[in-house]
Amino acid sequence: MRNASDTRLPATTPAGSEEGGTTRSARWSRGRVARVAALVVCAVLVLSFPSMAPNAYILSAGIVVASYACTATAWNFMGGFTGYVSLGHAAFFGLGAYGTGILIRDLGLPSFVAWLLAGVLVLLVTIPLGIAALRVRGASFVIVSISFVLILLLVFQAWGSFTGGSDGLVVPRPFPDLLRPEHHRVFFYLFTALLAVMLLAWWLIDRSRFGTGLKAVREDEDKAQALGVPTRNYKLVAYVVSATFTALAGGMYALWFGDLDPIFQFSIMLGSYMVLMALFGGVRHLYGPLLGAVVVGVGLEYFKLEFGDTQLHLVATALLLGLVVLFMPDGIIPAAKALAKRFGPQDSSIREISAAELQERNLTASGTPSSTPSGTTTGRTVADDEGEDER
Amino acid sequence: MSPRLSPRTARRRAFAVVAGLSTAALVLTACSGEEGGGGDGSDDPIVVGISLPLTGDFSEPGKGVQRGYEAWAQFINEDGGLLGRQVELKILDDQSNADRVVQDYEALIAQDEVDLVFGPFSTRLVVPSARVAEEYGMLFVEPAGAANEVFEQGFENLFYAAPAVADDHYNYLAEHILAMPEDERPQTVAVAAMDDPFAQGTAYGLRDKLADGGLEIVVDEVYPPNTTDFSSIAAKIDDSDADMVIGGTQYQDAVNLIVSLQQLDYQPQLAAFSTAPTNPEFASAIGAKTEGILSPTGYTENAGWPSNVDFVERYTALHGNAPGEDEANAFTTGQVVAAAVEAVGCAEQGDCQQELVDWLRTNEVETVVGPLSWDETGKPQGAHLIQQYVDGAIQIVLPEDAMEAELVHPKPEW
Amino acid sequence: MTGTLLFQSLVLGVLLGGLYALLAAGLTLYFGVMRVVMIAHSAFLILAAYLAWFFHQQTGMDPLLSLVITVPLFFLVGVGMQRLLITRLRPATLTMMSVLLTFAVALFIEGMIGFVWSGTQRRIQLPYSGASIEFFGARIAVVKLVAFALAALALAGLYLLMKHSRFGQALRATIQHREAAQLVGIKTDRVAGFGFGLGLATAAIGGTALSLDATIYPSLHWHWIGPLMAIIVVGGLGSIPGAAIAAMVLGIGQSLLQVPLGTTWAQTIFYVALFATLMLRPQGFFGGRLAQRF
Repeated sequence: MRNASDTRLPATTPAGSEEGGTTRSARWSRGRVARVAALVVCAVLVLSFPSMAPNAYILSAGIVVASYACTATAWNFMGGFTGYVSLGHAAFFGLGAYGTGILIRDLGLPSFVAWLLAGVLVLLVTIPLGIAALRVRGASFVIVSISFVLILLLVFQAWGSFTGGSDGLVVPRPFPDLLRPEHHRVFFYLFTALLAVMLLAWWLIDRSRFGTGLKAVREDEDKAQALGVPTRNYKLVAYVVSATFTALAGGMYALWFGDLDPIFQFSIMLGSYMVLMALFGGVRHLYGPLLGAVVVGVGLEYFKLEFGDTQLHLVATALLLGLVVLFMPDGIIPAAKALAKRFGPQDSSIREISAAELQERNLTASGTPSSTPSGTTTGRTVADDEGEDER
Repeated sequence: MSPRLSPRTARRRAFAVVAGLSTAALVLTACSGEEGGGGDGSDDPIVVGISLPLTGDFSEPGKGVQRGYEAWAQFINEDGGLLGRQVELKILDDQSNADRVVQDYEALIAQDEVDLVFGPFSTRLVVPSARVAEEYGMLFVEPAGAANEVFEQGFENLFYAAPAVADDHYNYLAEHILAMPEDERPQTVAVAAMDDPFAQGTAYGLRDKLADGGLEIVVDEVYPPNTTDFSSIAAKIDDSDADMVIGGTQYQDAVNLIVSLQQLDYQPQLAAFSTAPTNPEFASAIGAKTEGILSPTGYTENAGWPSNVDFVERYTALHGNAPGEDEANAFTTGQVVAAAVEAVGCAEQGDCQQELVDWLRTNEVETVVGPLSWDETGKPQGAHLIQQYVDGAIQIVLPEDAMEAELVHPKPEW
Repeated sequence: MTGTLLFQSLVLGVLLGGLYALLAAGLTLYFGVMRVVMIAHSAFLILAAYLAWFFHQQTGMDPLLSLVITVPLFFLVGVGMQRLLITRLRPATLTMMSVLLTFAVALFIEGMIGFVWSGTQRRIQLPYSGASIEFFGARIAVVKLVAFALAALALAGLYLLMKHSRFGQALRATIQHREAAQLVGIKTDRVAGFGFGLGLATAAIGGTALSLDATIYPSLHWHWIGPLMAIIVVGGLGSIPGAAIAAMVLGIGQSLLQVPLGTTWAQTIFYVALFATLMLRPQGFFGGRLAQRF
């Protein structure tokens, strides 16, 4: 799948493209050529993966990674644009999966009609949920998002007559005649297509006024509101889009995998993988979550096989998440870029500096020691008045 | 012989995953071909692929099944192997996780190209893994998917290697209770079952038969797997003062429920719990207050079947204690597959698997739990024994022709 | 439903609520001093329970004695965590990133418990495990009573410490207004570290209490963190009395609802309360202006 070329991709286009394109110079067209070329190479690589996979197992592992890529990218519509970290997106994944399965079972709909309909249903359900969840910011929002997963887990376990409960739900195969390796191949392409749609949507939003508004929320929600950005509606739309795409990924997974169990669909681990993958790759970048999904997803598969009979994969996930949060909260794309420019990882390029970083830098410049814990305190002094901590 | 997951093969496979994925990404040359897990040369060992829950919710019984499989492989190798070839087990840990179990069997069949597969533990894991085996055309004999649901999926390659399905586990006990004189017979019944197809299957099989016989069901509780606080369920059961308590349990939940009932000083006339009481750890876990607890079992170490006498003797020599039900079921699985392999004369992927399936469909196999035969859905055609703790030891109390001790009724206080 | 069953459930609810209250108080402390939502709190709880179990397993002594080791140990770990991990985060993104960081810590603990002691469920078998006493028609298990007493004592100790010691005053000042506290000469960093340690010490006590009467397994902490987080939001982030009251109310509510609804549905009371709070009073029922912003 894609990785190495993606890392370079944003680097080849100057930083301006990220924050709205202030540098529309001659390099723009060169950057565009490079980008299109990289995209074509990536697409060819991805599409040829099924024929290159040595056996059906590798292919199925590839599908798992592709589904991670879909969920991480879907998560990033909320997490990346607005900076609201949701640890509970597994809730929408599970709803999409169960919605698809139940619609096929109860209404006898064709598989992919049920899949789309499940996506629409999740879209509708997310509107009131989003209104409730977005009444709070920061840590409370994370708590609420986790509780979505926990509550749905309880409901889907307890409401056995409707959901199948702990017995699980069997989703009929959309292509009953296909042999298993063929079945994998088809679904690899389906997941890839879904991913392509999501990437396109991200790209479009990133370029739009709407996207700029969302990014304003990310950098400073109160100021954005003061400047007239309809923050609540913007956040809600981002949330609904993110949830719907996650649900579509979940529904696709249900059609592919066939066996649903509340414990595994509504799993906190799944939600945390999304966050880890997106953060690892870099939430501000189009291909960040995808890159994170490839690296982390392959790593997870590797760990589960290598250390299968221990809990070490949890430890590895934890260490990786800790390292990302502590040392490269913007992901490896900016970290790699910064490294290339021989700056410290804390100090990313000037154009992409966020309000938070700017503030920190100003504090440092004004003579307050910032590496010591007292820097934390000073940061908060300002923060408390400006409502700056919500992120 | 390395029955456990050997680190080398795991690493090789893990390497292949990473290599396979990143190779594709970087357009390096494709993964260097298969190193041939199986092979069909007549000297190669027969590789049997298994995924078991060695960690997670089902790890206790999962480890029992592992001991049974390992004992089977060791004994058969000591006796000269299968078709003259040594047997090698390849056991992966699925962490009691359905996603994992599917990936495991996929890896075993498609990547390691094992010659045969054996089933995992617990119904919830059997159904997804059986589908993988089915779609690769592999024979799938399993030691633990006893719930009815398993046999309603239309699997054609699946066989359950135990005497009876979950719903029929308590048949002898139900008959016995309904045959009691009216004044001795319990009148009210409290049921608590884990939300798990197997556990519910056993408890509800008995519950429904007793309800049809005119007994009153006064409590009927379901709790999710992983429940650890049983005080409120116990309070309800105690409050109903039912004459009999039925627990549709796996292992730890039974221990917790019984301790909670003891804390409330609830004393039923009859107490029946599935699975847990057959576990060797059970007595010490509830403070040795086991007297009178009933349980269905597919296996007794004292059964006189020819292969069982041999099995118990060798297993005891190996482990220092007699095999339990999980070990016996796993061993039975091995015996069933071995019988088919010896009769058909092949053990590899491909057409051979269908021949094995066809043979089992029409033949009866002698095992440590008695002769087994199956209907077209893979359901075994037998019944479970009923055991009870009598004077601190597990004794078979029903049916009468297998009886080792008289059923104690009412049960002593715990 | 008979009167005895109702009363029995009420008693069980109070016993459960006590433990919730202690744990929620710890969570509130972290939030108060550092604006950190400590997802790993319940993982430390389970770790303490495992240590108690292991201690009992190795020495055969009463698991309560393990408190002598675990409480100071957890206090130090808490101070270390605050000093070495939390303060490394950028202040501007502290609230969000600290959630992820403590989440990672929780996963780490879960994984290491599973690695060291395997995923097998564990339970301490004590001579008095099945014993109970009669209380106005209800039966109270001795182990539950001991656990409740432990939680109540710890909570009372915490209250006294907060109200009547200089350190407690400094701690409260730090929670209320950090920079003002600094201006009057309080070393808020040190206080915050101790506050963190204190929070973790409550997890040690709670875990030991839990181990007396519960089965433990590595992933159990997820079953605790949901209700606990709901409690601190309902109580109002940062308010210790609010958390304690919410814990008691919801604990009793859960226990009573189990009678008509069964165990699974009864657990949803926490989430229903959480969403009701968000819709009606997002700052929580006892929280100040702080709560909504975080």
